Amino acid sequence: MDWQLLGLSFITVFLAEIGDKSQLAAIALGGSSKSPRAVFFGSITALILASFLGVIAGGGMAHFLPAQLLKGTAAICFAIMALRLLWPDSES
Amino acid sequence: MTVTLSKQVNDGEKNTVTKAKNPFWTVFSSTFLTIFAAEMGDKTQLATLLMSAESQSPWVVFLGSALALIATSLLGVMIGYWLAKRLAPKTLDLTVAMLLLMITGLLIGDLVS
Repeated sequence: MDWQLLGLSFITVFLAEIGDKSQLAAIALGGSSKSPRAVFFGSITALILASFLGVIAGGGMAHFLPAQLLKGTAAICFAIMALRLLWPDSES
Repeated sequence: MTVTLSKQVNDGEKNTVTKAKNPFWTVFSSTFLTIFAAEMGDKTQLATLLMSAESQSPWVVFLGSALALIATSLLGVMIGYWLAKRLAPKTLDLTVAMLLLMITGLLIGDLVS
């Protein structure tokens, strides 16, 4: 077990994540949802799956992955969530 | 918060599980989908990808990255929870909406670049 590599990857990813979109999402969703626990588990599952795909697919992932499309849908989802918070009465 | 799951067994057919309407899974899936989509092709994933490609033991890199992601998510949810306790509902909604719009802006920024 290469502890030095473990520490290095932990610190690198930790610093990269602080203030990153996914952490802001965890703050926003964690604050506004009825079950912060679900937000936590949803968030770590998504993040770990994403980094798992990164490790597995390596460089080749970029070719078959519509990252732009996914980011577009994510942007729309976050915008919808924001609007639903700003105009709650429009919710059914 | 106990998760109640009422199970209905139909004789012969496939038994149907009627889930009590609890928010856990709806919140879990909406969080999972949005963050997963936002994270794909993101710099954190690329960082993990590059580090694991360079190192001889990619699984150690994956473990370090997973632990870091759990730490930052936990930190984020706790900050959110702490905010929810301190802010009045109206201001909380406004702050969260601003945060969500900020994320949308960051995502669009990624798309443009």
